This record gives sequence, C-alpha cells and structure tokens, in this order.
Amino acid sequence: MNENVIATGRMSKTGAWLHYFANPGRFLRFVRPALPWAAAISIVVTVVGIIWGYAFAPADWQQGDASRIMYVHVPAAWVSMSGYAMLAGVSFFSIVWRHPLADLAAEEIGPVGAGFTFVCLVSGALWGKPMWGAYWVWDARLTSVLVLFFLYLGHIALIRAFDNPAHGHRAAAILALVGVINLPIIVFSVQWWNTLHQGNTISFTGSSRIYITMLYPLLVSTVGFYLSFLTLVCARMCAAIMERRTRTLLVAAAERAS
Amino acid sequence: MRGAKKRRLYLVLAIGLCLSAAVGLSLAAFSSTLTFFFSPREVVAKHPAPGMSFRLGGIVQVGTVQTVVNAGTPVTNFRLTDGQASIPVVYSGLLPDLFREGQGIVAIGAMNASGQFVASEVLAKHGSSYMPKDVEQSLKNAGKWNPAYGPPPPASEWNTMQVKGSAS
Amino acid sequence: MKYAVFIDGSYGITVAFLLGIGWLTFARYRRAVRRLRAVETR
Repeated sequence: MNENVIATGRMSKTGAWLHYFANPGRFLRFVRPALPWAAAISIVVTVVGIIWGYAFAPADWQQGDASRIMYVHVPAAWVSMSGYAMLAGVSFFSIVWRHPLADLAAEEIGPVGAGFTFVCLVSGALWGKPMWGAYWVWDARLTSVLVLFFLYLGHIALIRAFDNPAHGHRAAAILALVGVINLPIIVFSVQWWNTLHQGNTISFTGSSRIYITMLYPLLVSTVGFYLSFLTLVCARMCAAIMERRTRTLLVAAAERAS
Repeated sequence: MRGAKKRRLYLVLAIGLCLSAAVGLSLAAFSSTLTFFFSPREVVAKHPAPGMSFRLGGIVQVGTVQTVVNAGTPVTNFRLTDGQASIPVVYSGLLPDLFREGQGIVAIGAMNASGQFVASEVLAKHGSSYMPKDVEQSLKNAGKWNPAYGPPPPASEWNTMQVKGSAS
Repeated sequence: MKYAVFIDGSYGITVAFLLGIGWLTFARYRRAVRRLRAVETR
C-alpha cells in the first residue's frame, strides 16, 4: 500500500502512471460511465457480424454452407487466445508490482475467457464432423486449444481456492504466466506439425486467402467478439469493486456499532 | 522498496526464460511423436511393419480413384502422394463429402503384406482458402487454377477479384 | 441448407453463451450497484 502512495507522488518514475490508473476507485470512476455505451456498441457489432455470417455471406466453393461456422469459431478462438494473453499480462503486473486492480482483472478475465474457449471448441467440433468426418482428433492444434481451456479452468479454481485471497492471487498469477507458453504453441501448431486442422487463412504479413465478401463479416464478427469480451470483463470488474466497497462499508458499520 | 520490485521482476523474467527453454527443447525432442500423420515419403523411408497402425496423410493423386461397390459397401482404391512418393490405399465405406482428387486427406490404418495401406477411417483435410463458388469458377475458366492440382494461386490475385454475376 | 444441424448448433451455442454471460454479468452489476447504494445511503 505504502509503495503505491510513494510512487504516485513521483509521476516521473517509470510505471507511476500505471499506479495512477491502477487504482480501483479511479478505474470505477473512469469506466462506469462508458459501460452502457460499450455494451450497446458491442451488441450491435456482434449481432451484425453474426447475422451477416449466418445469412448473407456467400457459401464456400469447397465447404459450402459449413464454412459459415467460421464466423463464430474463428473470432471465439482469437478472443480466447487474446484473453489469455491479457490474463498473463495482468498476472505479470500482479506479481511484480502487486497492483490490486491486476488481481481484480485476473479474477474476472478467467470465466469470460474460458467461455469463449468453450464456444471455440464446441463450434470447432461441429465444424469438424461434416467437413473432416470426425468431431475430434488429437492433432497439435486441437490438443493445444484444449490445454488452453484447462489452463483457464485451473486458473478459475486456483484463484478462489485459498482462504487468504492474496495467496490465491499469487498462485493463480504464476499458473497464468507458466501457461502463456501454450499461446505460441497454439499459433504455430499448424506450421510446426502436420495437423488435420487447416493452416492459417488470415495473414498479417501477406494477403489473406479469403475472398473479400467473406472477409468483411469475419472482421465485423471479430471486432464484435473483442468488444463484447472487453465490455464483459470491465463490467464484471466494476461490479467486483462495488461489491468490495459494500463489504468494507458493512464491516466498518459493524465495528462502529459494537 | 524499489529493489524488491526489481528483484521480483528479474525473478519472473528468469523463470520465464528457463521455462520457455525447457518447453522448447522438449517440443523439439518430441516433435516426431506430436506429428498427427506421416507423409508417403516418410512411409517409404521408414517402412512401417505390416499391421502396425498409423496415420497417413497426403494428396489424393489425380486419376487414381476407383470405386467398386462390393455387396452394398463401396470399396475405393486410390493413391496418396506428397509429390515425391505415393502409396496405394484401399478403403471400404462411405468417404467424407470433401473427398475428391487433389484433396488433402488423412487415412488411419496399417500397411498390409503387399505394400498397400488398408484404411479403416478416412478424414478430409480441407485447404485454408475461402472463396465463393463463382470466384473459383472464374479462376478455373481463366486457366489460373485447377483444384485437382494443388492450392489456388497467391491470394492477392483473387481475394478482391471482380466477378461477373457474383451473387454478393 | 446442407449441414444445417451443425451450422445452427454452432451459432446456437455461441448465441446462448453470449446471452447467458451477458445476462449474468448485467444482473451481477445491477445487484452490486443496488447494494452499494443501499449501504452508502444508510
């Protein structure tokens, strides 16, 4: 606690601005007014992306209408990986700088990220059956995403498993940092090993192997999923901060009364 | 106080480095067992014992697919190739919808005594190119691509291509 | 539409998840606001 106060006093020190914004009360003041807008935009973009992909995007030359599953499967996969990267990032801040907001974020990212990973796995299985001929195969891509799901579940359990919350936050942060090794494995699995899963369609360095009328709904849906993820995490963090404040006030009132 | 923070930072970074080195090395060591399938070239080089089950992946060689219906079950003979070697495969049963000449597939089964791969299951491995049917047709008509002979041309040639009568 | 079961299933699970977690989060948020206000104005 004491170190935070000192650091905020000297804004020129590295990381001081982070201490400034990592204050839960300040986070609540900044984020709460934006939540209704963020929620509205997330819903609109996600709905547009999903409907565009489901009903209006053209069918694929090879996979026919089954390629429509892409518009939910791929964004869910991207969000689940980015979500884990965020989880690892806040865990890093939690371990090194002990930001209380980082622990709050870690606690709320877990369930949302796990949900998106679950959506990715289920929609992938439902895509695999009609196209490959199997719901599930143990290739490097599918296995590493399943590992990601279990990392999320382990983190959710670990962060709530201790009587002393600080111990839970520490243990869960270590798990999140160790598990980050899985992210490059997921990304490069289709290049490093022979997999049944297809290679990358979208490329950030060259041109993407997807026709433009299918790329647009994919991008819209992706932006929608990302916004939804961020909005959900922020709303849950705000709720957690308010719950904590309520608890503190109740405890203080009880102490005054006694 | 700042010293403690710096120590934690370096500790985390050092542990991360050690861990990634360990995982990287073990992945490199185990990469052969992580492989989901063997290519025809590897099978020709390694000569797996007949009856030993493994997965064989490759491209269905053009002009080699023959299907005979035997007592109600279709029996399909074809060759799987990776461009350098090719292995004859036999499979009895219904093939996945995406099975066609030039398609990448993964077959699960074992070699028999006469050097033929007897597949008990055939999985289709679809490519990573997505385009509407009419774009594929116009690439085909322009002589730029035949799906039976490999992947489409570089994506920049077609992913924003104008197509006459395109539905969308 | 061919493969309709699989497509509808994928979209179904996605929409169900988004609606579910959206509703749960909203409900939790609203409860947190209400409780905090009740304690603060006491």
